[in-house]
Amino acid sequence: MEQFIWLIPALPLLGFLINGIGNKSVPRGMSGLVASITVLGGFILSVVLFLQLLSDPNLVIQQKLFTWMATSTMEVDFGFMVDRLSVIMLLVITGVGFLIHVYSMGYMHEEPDYARYFAYLNLFVFFMLILVLGSGYLMMFVGWEGVGLCSYLLIGFWFKNNDYNAAASKAFIMNRIGDLGFLLGMFLMLQTFGSLSYDKVISGASTMSVGTPVLTAIALLLFVGAMGKSAQLPLYTWLPDAMAGPTPVSALIHAATMVTAGIYMVVRSNVIYVLAPFASEIVLIVGILTALLAAFVGLKQTDIKKVLAYSTVSQLGLMFVALGLGAYKTALFHVVTHAFFKALLFLCSGSVIHAMGGEQDMRKMGGLKKALPITHLTFLIGTLAITGIPPFAGFFSKDEIMASAFATNGWIFALVCFCALLTAIYMFRLYFLTFHGEFRGSQHQQEHLHESPASMTTPLIVLAILSTIGGFIGMPEIMHAPHLLSRFLKPVTAMAESYTSLHVTHTFEYILLVSSVSILAIVIWFSHRKYAVQKHVPAAPQELSGFQWVLHNKFFVDEFYDAIIVRPLRMVSSLGYRWIEQGFIDGIVNGFGTVATSLSAALRYLQSGAIGFYMIAMVISFIVVFFIQMFL
Amino acid sequence: MNILIAITAVGVLAMLSEILNFRRFLYPISLFVMLVALALTGMEWSHGVRYFNDMLYMDNYAVVFTGIMVVTTLLWFMMNENFLNGNPRQADFTAIISFALGGAMVMAGFSDLIMLFLGVEILSISMYVLAASNKSEPRSNEAGFKYFLMGAFASGFLLFGIALVYGATGSFNLREISEFVSENNTDMSAIFYGGVLMIAAGLAFKVAAAPFHFWAPDVYEGSPTPFTAFMSTVVKTAAFAAFLRLFSTCFSEVSTWWSPVLAIMSALSMLVGSIMALRQTSLKRLLAWSGVANAGYMLMAVVSLNEYSDTALVLYAAAYSIASIGIFTLVSNMTNAGNEEISSLHGFSKVNRFPALVITVLMFSIAGIPPLAGFFGKYAIFAGALKDGFVWLAVVAVLSSAISVFYYLKVVVAMFQPAGREAVQLEFNPGQSLVLGLVLVLVVVLGLVPALITTLI
Amino acid sequence: MSEIPLSHILFVSTALFFIGMYGMFTRRNMITMLMSIELMLNSVNINFIAFNKYLFPGNLDGLFFTIFIITIAAAEAAVAIAIIINLYRNHKSIDVEEADALKH
Repeated sequence: MEQFIWLIPALPLLGFLINGIGNKSVPRGMSGLVASITVLGGFILSVVLFLQLLSDPNLVIQQKLFTWMATSTMEVDFGFMVDRLSVIMLLVITGVGFLIHVYSMGYMHEEPDYARYFAYLNLFVFFMLILVLGSGYLMMFVGWEGVGLCSYLLIGFWFKNNDYNAAASKAFIMNRIGDLGFLLGMFLMLQTFGSLSYDKVISGASTMSVGTPVLTAIALLLFVGAMGKSAQLPLYTWLPDAMAGPTPVSALIHAATMVTAGIYMVVRSNVIYVLAPFASEIVLIVGILTALLAAFVGLKQTDIKKVLAYSTVSQLGLMFVALGLGAYKTALFHVVTHAFFKALLFLCSGSVIHAMGGEQDMRKMGGLKKALPITHLTFLIGTLAITGIPPFAGFFSKDEIMASAFATNGWIFALVCFCALLTAIYMFRLYFLTFHGEFRGSQHQQEHLHESPASMTTPLIVLAILSTIGGFIGMPEIMHAPHLLSRFLKPVTAMAESYTSLHVTHTFEYILLVSSVSILAIVIWFSHRKYAVQKHVPAAPQELSGFQWVLHNKFFVDEFYDAIIVRPLRMVSSLGYRWIEQGFIDGIVNGFGTVATSLSAALRYLQSGAIGFYMIAMVISFIVVFFIQMFL
Repeated sequence: MNILIAITAVGVLAMLSEILNFRRFLYPISLFVMLVALALTGMEWSHGVRYFNDMLYMDNYAVVFTGIMVVTTLLWFMMNENFLNGNPRQADFTAIISFALGGAMVMAGFSDLIMLFLGVEILSISMYVLAASNKSEPRSNEAGFKYFLMGAFASGFLLFGIALVYGATGSFNLREISEFVSENNTDMSAIFYGGVLMIAAGLAFKVAAAPFHFWAPDVYEGSPTPFTAFMSTVVKTAAFAAFLRLFSTCFSEVSTWWSPVLAIMSALSMLVGSIMALRQTSLKRLLAWSGVANAGYMLMAVVSLNEYSDTALVLYAAAYSIASIGIFTLVSNMTNAGNEEISSLHGFSKVNRFPALVITVLMFSIAGIPPLAGFFGKYAIFAGALKDGFVWLAVVAVLSSAISVFYYLKVVVAMFQPAGREAVQLEFNPGQSLVLGLVLVLVVVLGLVPALITTLI
Repeated sequence: MSEIPLSHILFVSTALFFIGMYGMFTRRNMITMLMSIELMLNSVNINFIAFNKYLFPGNLDGLFFTIFIITIAAAEAAVAIAIIINLYRNHKSIDVEEADALKH
């Protein structure tokens, strides 16, 4: 098997070449099929690899392709490496990727540029596989940039629309700011360790002591890269905008795989982070702030995909919280379960949008439960999974994050719990607004409501099953079942675990289980009452005043709920949106642009077109340099 | 040596074609001779012969740079089929371009300061003529005289510097100078240091590094587009080949003296180039400023002299030349259509799918996005600077390349936008499409297997 | 008769170089600027000859370099005159500040 590792990325690349070069001459049925089969091939190979790794705990497959640069003091190679961490990522990428390819065949069937779409999608899978298969940071960076490029291409896929183009550019530029950090981190590693391959860097780092400044610098720089790719504060605003792309793309790239690259990178470099406690703290703070802010903003959105996008940002924030706490396996666990349920939710929303003829505004939906039974059921499973209701997948991973937070710091624990509560509120609001109540769209839309074809519902069902049972790979201690994932990943994070111990008592686990379930039940009841029974519809943001909100709720209970929870939440939410996102973050991003352009306005005067001035400027600068060199 | 003869022969043949009236065969002949020259370059590889009493030394460094420049010129001829064929001054242009290429080769292979001076002047005087060659166009005139006056001024600096170095060391030969420097590097006279700085200033002018860059945007914009393409590829590559060759063989022992100066120049070029490119609306002028920024990156290879700065420079120069030739194919078509504004590209991708794809890839390559050739060039150069301890310079470089993405992206976005009122129809002839195809293959292959070119040195 | 010391000659050549540079800065007439360039090149020639004669009398490299410079300067002058004539045709003037279409 070892010598066939290259086949895993090569297959999607082949698909890309067939669809990309053939373009319109490839028959429509063929191009989707080719694209899906190549990814399926990758999945089968990954399963074989997985079984092989399962039988031998110390097996790490290395395959060197060629040396890119070698000198006496440094060596940079290109090669593949498969260990237990990368094989999990492989399975997620190829498995979920395959399902989304199948789904796309149905979703994009009216698209004239069918082959180009699949070419991009395959290219994305190729780069994502390169990212996780690489044996060093350079290869990771190649994949890292490649997935960014494909994301850019796919967001702007419908490039007739100017807005889409702007979103694509924003994603691209924000990611580049993050890449700056990654690149600098890589340079620093090369200078410190003389190599960029994982084994050399890790072994080099593990000989250093805790808190070595250079390790902290590397960890922080790499984290800046992760902030861009995994949409963390302050570089997260591109992700909601990226929803301009086709929905399966949002599911694959902006929920299941690419955005988790930052988490993969931190888990991969866990030794560095363990030895840089300051950097880990920063990761923790950024993670929790992002999780909260995005959850608040998500409360207010009316676009079905935007809610899911903010929810993704918030969940990614939770993963970084786990990373900051040193619970690397927990973060990866959440990556896996999140890939299942978030891909499911996005695909379901795609199915809804498909049925609604492209409508994405929840205020125009409602009562879709009858027309779309399979979508409804699978969406419900996804919602239950993300809100953390046992025994769905999200419960186990979220529970683990909460437990590690409790073991470290009470405040963090409280904030994580609060964030989970917000998640439940906006997710059930989304669910009830979309599937319950009465239909609020146009007559025309109502007539055309239909369940999606089998090519779309089959992936939904498979993902729903995975979202239901996916959590069983990591059960908490009180269930007396083995934590399979944790056992499997032991060789990767062994070093990190010797530094941090995150254990909680069994009593606490029980309390956590019972209290979280009961709080969630209350949230569900309120949401059901408000959106399904009373058929409350959120108004468009500008016409909404606090007073109207109160009027809408005729019962005392609701007024109470409104005054104590909803209105403060709404205020924080709009504060978050208006001040932090629009004012602060966009301000910084735009400010960078403004400074650069005003600087160039000043420099323009130097380029006056007069030759005499040019020569004097040259000579004066020469004389300045000459004096500095000669006499100072 | 045979390469130089072959290339000069094209020039002489071109002039003869005017007299003997075989002008219509000139274009195929020049393509053929370029291919022959490429083969001859390959035959020189790893022989390391010294010609003319050690005036020229064709080591692998010189051979690889010559190879890059010959390939670029070949692509240049292919892309300008329509411009050259049937042009009443075809013979003049062919001859002058061939001589310029000869000068560029001398700059890559010199091993004596006399040859450096001759190479620089052969190349520069040819370019002065070509810049001003559109006689009826005032802007071309302006470009020509600006280039000439400032170029001659910079040559004065270069010569004065050579004179001072000669006064201090007593020789023009690179080997003798470097022996002299390594024997006496603790007590060199002051005129030697002054001379090194003046040579650096003269060469910095030729490569258009800030603050000696003022000529570049004006001259690039005013010159006829085919010659701008030649300037931004062959001329720049040759100037850097000479720069690195001189400073690494002769002055490496005293690098503490000049490397801070060049580091400042490099940082300035990157920042000024990137920032000024931000607000350009004309693609041609944008490329001129991006050329200034790229001069800054390449200068980093000279600043951080170490065992692989020549590898890094070769990789970067190759990636930059190839990408530029491809992009200038587009610009020359825009010039023919009479509009060089970026906004005139709206709707371009609808009509010309393949060129739009190639230009996008080239822009990504030049912006330094992996896995294309440009990324590895940048990576090698940045890593070299870091290894030599120029951390601040690498930070500036990464920052400037982040800015550069904004303006390279501007072009890509414009191409993929729906057509507006001022959309211009551009047509690519078969030769140009072939150039684009070749360039695409080269950029991707060099990105995936940079060892193809780096192992040649 | 005592020999003129090297430093005197170097002083003359450096002065000449800066006079040429001054001419480049202050003159707007292209012919005068061309003459200024010639001054700079000639100052370099003086340098070469002086160094050769005083410091390295054994060989003739400096003299040879001077001959190359003179040749190149002639070629440059020819090109410059051609450009000047062209400029005059277009602008009816050889003032360099008349031509400033290219800027920013």
